[in-house]
Amino acid sequence: MNPTLKFLLAVLIALEISFTSVWVINVVLAALGLIVILWHRTPWKRVGLLLLVPLIPATALAVAMLMQGRGNNNVHFAIVLFTRIYAYVFVGSAATLTTPIQTLVMSLEQNAHVPSKFAYGFLGAFNLMPKIVSEVATIRAAGQMRGQVLHFWSPQLYFKAIIASLNWSENLAEAMTSHGFVEEAPRTHLTVITTSWWDWVLIIVPLLLLQVGLFAIPLP
Amino acid sequence: MATVSVDHLSFSYTIGDEPLKPTLTDLSISFVSGGFTLLTGPSGSGKSTLLKLIAGLYPAFSGKVTAGHITLNDQLLSEISPTKRSQLVAMMFQNPNQQFAMDTVENELVFALENQQLPPVDIMPRIDRALAFLEITDLRDRVISTLSGGEKQKVALAVIVAMDTDTILLDEPFASVDPDARQLLLGKLARLQREDHKTIILADHDLEDYGNYIDQMVVINTAGTALTPLSAQEKDQRLASFSRSKTDEVRFALPDKKTPPAIQLTDLKLTAGTRTLLNQPSFVFYRDHVTLLTGPNGVGKSTLLTAIAKLHDYSGSIIVDQTEVRKSRKRIFYQELGLVFQDAEEQFLNVTVEEELALSTKNSRNADYFSAKLPDFLKQLRLDGLNDHVVYALSGGQKKKLQILEMLMMGTPILLFDEPFTGLDFTSLQQVLSLMQHVAHDCHQTYVIVSHQLYGIADLIDYHVKLKNQQLTYSEVLA
Amino acid sequence: MKRSNAWHLRDIILLALIAIFCGVIFWVIGPLYNILTVALTPVGLGPAANDILMGVWCMAGPLAGIIFKRVGAAFLGEFLGSVVEMFLGGQWGASTMISGVVQGVASELGFTFTGYKNFNWLGLNMSVLTTTIITFAWDMARNGYASYHFGLLIALFIIRLISMWIFGGLLSKAITNLLDRTHLLQAQTR
Repeated sequence: MNPTLKFLLAVLIALEISFTSVWVINVVLAALGLIVILWHRTPWKRVGLLLLVPLIPATALAVAMLMQGRGNNNVHFAIVLFTRIYAYVFVGSAATLTTPIQTLVMSLEQNAHVPSKFAYGFLGAFNLMPKIVSEVATIRAAGQMRGQVLHFWSPQLYFKAIIASLNWSENLAEAMTSHGFVEEAPRTHLTVITTSWWDWVLIIVPLLLLQVGLFAIPLP
Repeated sequence: MATVSVDHLSFSYTIGDEPLKPTLTDLSISFVSGGFTLLTGPSGSGKSTLLKLIAGLYPAFSGKVTAGHITLNDQLLSEISPTKRSQLVAMMFQNPNQQFAMDTVENELVFALENQQLPPVDIMPRIDRALAFLEITDLRDRVISTLSGGEKQKVALAVIVAMDTDTILLDEPFASVDPDARQLLLGKLARLQREDHKTIILADHDLEDYGNYIDQMVVINTAGTALTPLSAQEKDQRLASFSRSKTDEVRFALPDKKTPPAIQLTDLKLTAGTRTLLNQPSFVFYRDHVTLLTGPNGVGKSTLLTAIAKLHDYSGSIIVDQTEVRKSRKRIFYQELGLVFQDAEEQFLNVTVEEELALSTKNSRNADYFSAKLPDFLKQLRLDGLNDHVVYALSGGQKKKLQILEMLMMGTPILLFDEPFTGLDFTSLQQVLSLMQHVAHDCHQTYVIVSHQLYGIADLIDYHVKLKNQQLTYSEVLA
Repeated sequence: MKRSNAWHLRDIILLALIAIFCGVIFWVIGPLYNILTVALTPVGLGPAANDILMGVWCMAGPLAGIIFKRVGAAFLGEFLGSVVEMFLGGQWGASTMISGVVQGVASELGFTFTGYKNFNWLGLNMSVLTTTIITFAWDMARNGYASYHFGLLIALFIIRLISMWIFGGLLSKAITNLLDRTHLLQAQTR
């Protein structure tokens, strides 16, 4: 499916279930998401984590509703909140786990006409992720070597990260320019990402079915 | 073949719109067209700046041309459109880590060729040829961030080969490249020049190995006010005197095995990309001694230091102070061992010189010793009177001196130094060496020093270790 | 930084890097959120963890706003951060991106209300306030806050406001004070 439309679908679904309270639909969406995730041969460890991690916020919200809710439908709403989290996570992961960020960015450039400077600027920064993780470790070590522990509330930690960002952004922007990237200039595309009628079917039909499930059939 | 000419060029970096002290002043030169030029000069003299100007990156990204101009094939560079320019000139950078926008090797090549608006059908054949030329076809689908320094620079050159620009600029491209990769890259550059008539301009302060390849050597002076092309004879003299001046004729003792250990390595294995950097059954760095660690670029000296400093994964064992480094608690570990980073700015935590010194004084293990001596040390290093200066605005040499001083002041029992002498002029080097010697002695510290700069440092050194063929060995001689 | 509303490649990379750095630092404290939530759940106050840490999640917006001082910075900083978080497998899935948009618009609005003329304390405080109000409204729907007792609702709102003010306000200001003293930002005009 076209990556831009796939993310649009996931976001629209998440948006709609945020404002509706049909837990059966949440469960169906979560199940469908899980099927897509399993279909793509996601490692079991990852699937296990996806099942476990949302348990914490989901339980917290449900318990809070049971104990603090002021309506008469607290049990129903607790179930809705619990299942909603799982619907978010599995619908979202069905999109992210099946689309490399590279492909999404190319689709945003070609199909959604996001300016290429935003698409590739973001991508360039994203691909520095391993360096970013090790830079945070280095900054904290540099602090500890001088007897100063840097916490997530220490301005110096962010200050040093921003200074690294200043240097890196200059290096990367120059390197990309040297590799021929010019803002606003046309580019050719080796992989042309198309939007076919089938993609539109894949976004419109599920959304229609969702409306039917939410509003036409009386589900709990 | 391309002609690159610089004509009465002056350039300044700017703050806001205000030009600073000029970096380059009234420079003129014509580079040999279709030739291989080595641009050399002390660090901080403006070699990188000049290359970035020729690449058209400056003044687009930084600074201001205050006089003169650059021409490419007799056309003003400033009048060539950026897209056209990218077909004429490309640059390879010193830091291999921030020169790729994409994740994999192939995607980066595709990115560059799409930027050049190459028709899609021509893209793959170009990529095939460029990868084959650099002998890295097997790296095609690899994620760039997992490659070694040498592999990254091969990819960087492959991108330039695929882009097929007439002029190739290289800014100290071999700083983190292992010897095999360096030989391969130099050989490929020579072929590009001979067979494809590329104009190659390479900046480096290290002149090793270039003798057989270059047609022209151009020297830039410290102040950035003169570019001097050398005659063939002068060039050969300079190359010869470079390899002589590199080392002292000194002999070092071999360690006494009874000395207590500071750092013990057992079955230690370090890797970078597909390369094994180190495979060491057992090795000891000794306590209260200064050990110099040498070896070619890219063989893993820095990686070894970062592994010992708990900043790089390793397999096997590294024991510091009876504790496995991997399992040690950071807060305690870094009171025992410190790393003086290669990039001085990584060490700084505050804004001004005064704040930096105050932090070290506050948390020092030998606070009394250092607060008594600090004024002398500052004077000795000529860092006095800089108290309210912003550390990031200091010169390269001043940053290095401040960094070393503030780490010495911590009084940490074990200090690892990664290239502490780069960018220091001769006087500064003497000041730093004498300070290190003084403090090591008074505070009973253990130093492990990685350095390319070997000239004049023998007095500080007790033992010398070579890293070669994935092995560490104590050695009596330098070179 | 020179007042210019155009976004160039360099700025976009810088903004994205800052957003990712913030994301990575917050990711390090991910366990803190879970621990807080687990600790507060038995008394039915689990969601308070969300409000206590809201300032941390939403810091990139106000911070980017006062660093870049231009239209769109706060929105982009917050939004790009959430996209990264989603791809890193944050536990909120697809709603992360929606939250990113909501939080982005919320922190941008604060600066909009000053007519993009104040990127100092006033703009920052406005941004803190709009972020608190709008994200809270969003959680009324998404996380069912709307059904809580009125007293709890007020308490959560105040906790969130304080958290936003400490991280989005005080901490962002402290960071930019350090940066301003280096003059490094003034050197980057393009």
